[in-house]
Amino acid sequence: MENIQCPIPGYENLADEFGTLISTYPPPFIYIQDTQALRTTLNAIDALLRDLSNLPASSTNPSKIYYSRVDCVASFTSRLFYEAVINTLVGWEPSWEDGCANWSAEGAVGGKWNESMDMFLHGLRAAASTCGSRIKSQSDYDVRFVIVVERAERLKESLPEIIVPLTRLSELSRIDLSVVFISQVGWEDIRPPLGASPDPYYIDIQAPSKESLYPHPLVQHSLTPLTPYHPALESLYSHFVTTLCDVCFPFTHDPNELQYITAARWPGFCKPLLDEHKRRQRKPENEDTDVDMDVDPEDEDREVLHDRGMDFLFQPSTDTRMRLNKLFNPTLSNALEALLPRLSNAADWAKKNEPPPDLLSLPPGQAHLGQSQASKDSSAAAEATSMRFLPRMSKFILLASFVASTNPAKSDIRIFGRGLDEKKRKRRRAAPKMSAKKKSAGPSKVSQRLLGPTSFPLDRMLAILGALLEENEAEWKLPSPQFTIPGEETDMDISRVGIYASVMELTSMRLLHRASPPDRLDGPPQFKCVISHDMALVLAKQLDVALNDLLWDPM
Amino acid sequence: MPDAELPNLDDISKTVFCIPYNPPEEADGAEEQHRLHASAHEERDLENGEDLRFLAYKEAWKICLERMQRVIQELQKSSIRAVVDEVRSSYTNVLPGLPYEELPVVSVINPGLGSTFLEDISTQLENGQLSELSQNVECIVTHLYPGDLPNVSSGMRAIVSSFVEREDTQDRVNRKPSSSLANYDIKFLRAWYRARLKTSGSDNSSSLNLVVVLHEFEQLDPQVMQDIFYICSGSISALRLIFLISMSSSLNYLSANYPRATMSLLRVRSFTTPSGPEVLQEVLLKTFFDTHFEPFVMIGPALIEYLQDYFTRFHSSMDAILTILQIGHLKHFSSDPLTVLVRGTPSTDVLSKPGSFGFLRSLSARLAHALAVQDVELEGDVFHPLSNIPQVIENVNHARQIFYSRLRSLRLGFGIMICIQSFLEKEGYRGLEWSIAANKGVICDAMINLLKGHFTRDVKELVRYTRKLKQDELRSLLDRLHALFLYLPPRVRTEEKKSLDQLGRMKTSLEESNSRANASADISASLSEWVGQYLGEKLNLPEECDLWDIWYTGLAPFPSELLNPSIRASLMAGLLRPHDYVEDINGNVNTEPSQKNIWELPDTSILFKRYLDSGKMINVYDWFESFKDVLDSQRTHLKEPISPQKRVKSKVKSQVPDATEDDDKWDIEVQARFIRALHELDYLGFIKHTNRKADHLLRTIFDVNGAD
Repeated sequence: MENIQCPIPGYENLADEFGTLISTYPPPFIYIQDTQALRTTLNAIDALLRDLSNLPASSTNPSKIYYSRVDCVASFTSRLFYEAVINTLVGWEPSWEDGCANWSAEGAVGGKWNESMDMFLHGLRAAASTCGSRIKSQSDYDVRFVIVVERAERLKESLPEIIVPLTRLSELSRIDLSVVFISQVGWEDIRPPLGASPDPYYIDIQAPSKESLYPHPLVQHSLTPLTPYHPALESLYSHFVTTLCDVCFPFTHDPNELQYITAARWPGFCKPLLDEHKRRQRKPENEDTDVDMDVDPEDEDREVLHDRGMDFLFQPSTDTRMRLNKLFNPTLSNALEALLPRLSNAADWAKKNEPPPDLLSLPPGQAHLGQSQASKDSSAAAEATSMRFLPRMSKFILLASFVASTNPAKSDIRIFGRGLDEKKRKRRRAAPKMSAKKKSAGPSKVSQRLLGPTSFPLDRMLAILGALLEENEAEWKLPSPQFTIPGEETDMDISRVGIYASVMELTSMRLLHRASPPDRLDGPPQFKCVISHDMALVLAKQLDVALNDLLWDPM
Repeated sequence: MPDAELPNLDDISKTVFCIPYNPPEEADGAEEQHRLHASAHEERDLENGEDLRFLAYKEAWKICLERMQRVIQELQKSSIRAVVDEVRSSYTNVLPGLPYEELPVVSVINPGLGSTFLEDISTQLENGQLSELSQNVECIVTHLYPGDLPNVSSGMRAIVSSFVEREDTQDRVNRKPSSSLANYDIKFLRAWYRARLKTSGSDNSSSLNLVVVLHEFEQLDPQVMQDIFYICSGSISALRLIFLISMSSSLNYLSANYPRATMSLLRVRSFTTPSGPEVLQEVLLKTFFDTHFEPFVMIGPALIEYLQDYFTRFHSSMDAILTILQIGHLKHFSSDPLTVLVRGTPSTDVLSKPGSFGFLRSLSARLAHALAVQDVELEGDVFHPLSNIPQVIENVNHARQIFYSRLRSLRLGFGIMICIQSFLEKEGYRGLEWSIAANKGVICDAMINLLKGHFTRDVKELVRYTRKLKQDELRSLLDRLHALFLYLPPRVRTEEKKSLDQLGRMKTSLEESNSRANASADISASLSEWVGQYLGEKLNLPEECDLWDIWYTGLAPFPSELLNPSIRASLMAGLLRPHDYVEDINGNVNTEPSQKNIWELPDTSILFKRYLDSGKMINVYDWFESFKDVLDSQRTHLKEPISPQKRVKSKVKSQVPDATEDDDKWDIEVQARFIRALHELDYLGFIKHTNRKADHLLRTIFDVNGAD
């Protein structure tokens, strides 16, 4: 089809195949799978269908196309699903003044087509006839419906009963209709059992090539304010994007992610240039000699162009570009590390990593970006600060839980046992005799830290807590002369209400995880510690506890 | 007893029977109860002393609480401002060039300050004045709690209906629920939003943000929330939704518990409220050590010490501070009858009533003791308190005045110490051993030392430092001190006129002698002399006043076991010494409780004592036999004519069988009582059932102190 244009670079194949199918003889059920960049694919298909539905029906396009997109996450009940389909197909927008009434069909169905699949089929037919009568006035062509079901894998959990009818919708409704499932998972994972559904027409979206991934050209704003997205910076932008894609391509193939990282880094990248430009504008007649960038061959001309509101080329020299690249390239991987897992959001990251003003006017030796290192361990630092305000007892509880979750229960007596008569007074006074040497652990055991935390009974954690408190908390306590036996006070302390309250609070903060059901009364409750090893180290440092001595297999 | 009241215990259709408690016929139960409530200080209290002291407590606590709440509000102000600005500008302040719009999520990490913080935010958002940054952004706030969002559809329904069904929105339209959009459909909210924008005027300058406050965010199911976030993020182009989530844990809760796919839809900004030691420090400083505020009751070093300990070690929240101070106040007013005098002295009429005699006598004795220290001559009067009531009243009023003025001086002196110390720190000197920097939190130690009287070294240090100041340092320090005096409350300022003048003189002479070097040395010498002298005058221990313990909690320990008891220890104590709990806690402080015989104890305690005597495993039959022995001896004891020890519990008394009853009935009763006691111990967790040995149970508690 000559008039189907590819809406998004990299989707030419899809545009050809899908566009041709839909506009000529669509299979009743199409399954599109995309594992890498679902969001972009959805946009591409939407744009494609919009184009197709805007085309007038002609001899090459025998039918007028109406389409509707349904998101299966948002349509978590069948009613929402039906309403989303039919209201969009007929182009009905419920308004508040009418009480948000749905589109209502003529005849017996009325507005009740959202009740069941059967009524929905009637509704579809009514919608088809309505749409048909709309265009019949002009020509003789037919109506074709395309229903795009996005994130179809969710149907399996939320609405399993409508999968089979949906896949057979065309034969059930007896109208010209095609159902398109789009999902990240394959059809074989969704397919209902017993062959109830026909096999779809498969389209697999290929992983996009690197070139097609380059984020799209700049957002065009008006020419007057000199923003980072000024058209004049376009060529620099494309250079920047190439570099950025080189860095990020091994880690993500999603154009949206690349665009996201670009959006965060680009304003900082071009800021030195803009600063420089502003600096020059401030003293336009003062043509200084140390031109770091031969941006403007004829300054006056440019001003004229600028005043006319016309585009001008703002072409930095290769030298300047290389300088910028050298300065900013290390930050690209930082951006990737922080933004891809969304440890930070783009706006905040951009603000935090903004280069110092007038970077290019500094001599090359002095110009550097201060924060490139800091952003790396910012998440750890943030964790540490947020942990700082936990009360000491909660920190000890977390630490004891971490130890209980990582060490095997058998090892407790060896690590925390003190003194000779270990049976009687397991964990009382005496100097730490920590170094519990590993005794030829069996055939290459996997470290517990890699296996994840194990659950432990509350009593065990309290016992470890007692041992920790006895050895590390003595000088923090208020003096209490009423306790004379060594360890007696700790014994009292670990059974205080405050401890139990802290455990519950930590559980509600999801730093501990309750492994046993809360309604089980007999036996101590089981917990799991869900803080990371790094966090435990931070805590141990704050409490001045040698954590590595307390772990059965220290790193 | 009529049969109708007795439940039919053989009815197998019921799982639970309610056997109502029938109090014994004898009236002495009520009497006993009354005895428990009577004042511990009966002999030296006013007639309705308890009520009066309670009123005095309420008054004192009220102003203390109000002050603290104001301090907290001040603390929160800047965070609230930041959050409100962020929420207002969420949709105006967006980074250009993003691939898609992100759903703004503002997370407030709110460990200490409690829920008032979020309430303040929402009131400010809804009707606060608009700042320049966020012009014309109207906000509608709705609060949701974990219970509102158990699954996606009820969660969405809660979100949609909380906006749509507000009182102040436009008139409801008649809608047919079956043939219109579902009330959990985000499109329904969108339609409402469109209509709302239309009615409020369609000019582009104003916009409407919908703020959903999710309380206790960690309690929400991530599975549910990630769908809700997804659904909402799909509509933000048409619907300005903002989620304000309140979390108590760390920043990375979201990224740890939500998948990347969800996180990439959100733009999370975090705000942390002030927390940790500086909150405690600020509250204490502004409430008890501020020259602009006078609490009725001053807290002593023991209370501050406990507060600090509890706050840093157990529970770092505002509620902990308030609770401890409130309990401290309560204890203060309940422990001494004289505390009724905190604010005012009862009139002559009240004091001359015969019921007040004890109170008056103890008061005059205290006054006489104080006077005796100063003046021996007055001794003749004191033993006739009734004859001299106006004098007593006057003395009390005088003592009160003296105490408050001394406390004022102490606060002022401490204020000056803080002022100099903060100045020294700012200039880069180390200064004293404590620091006023908020994050160290050691200013509480300084308060404790001050109230304990360990401040001479600090004063000497300050004198030494001020002597060595350079000229410009001297000037700025003088400015600070002068400003401190200038902004005192007017009443205090007139009292401190002399010092103000003196500082003013030093300032002017410093300015006049701008050039000469040794002039500044002279002035610094005189300043340091003034500091030494002034602090020496002002810093006096409150305990040195007469009747100080009325207005000052001093070294009285905080009843920490009330707030943070050890569960195991109290359980044991309760079982081993049940009578200590029944009797008045204050009453027998002096008298050592008499050792009770085992038969005098309640059944559960008897069984527990026998439990402690056994080995690791208990043979239930032996246990029963030993229990029965005790009950038999109880039976014979109770059959005896009433002895002085007859004050045993009425429960036991009611169970005394008649002499005519046959032994069979007694055996059944013993068995029933045994089973009941056994179940109680089981319920408390003392017994572990085991199948290892027939008729045996496993002990769970060993080595109990004081079990004998």
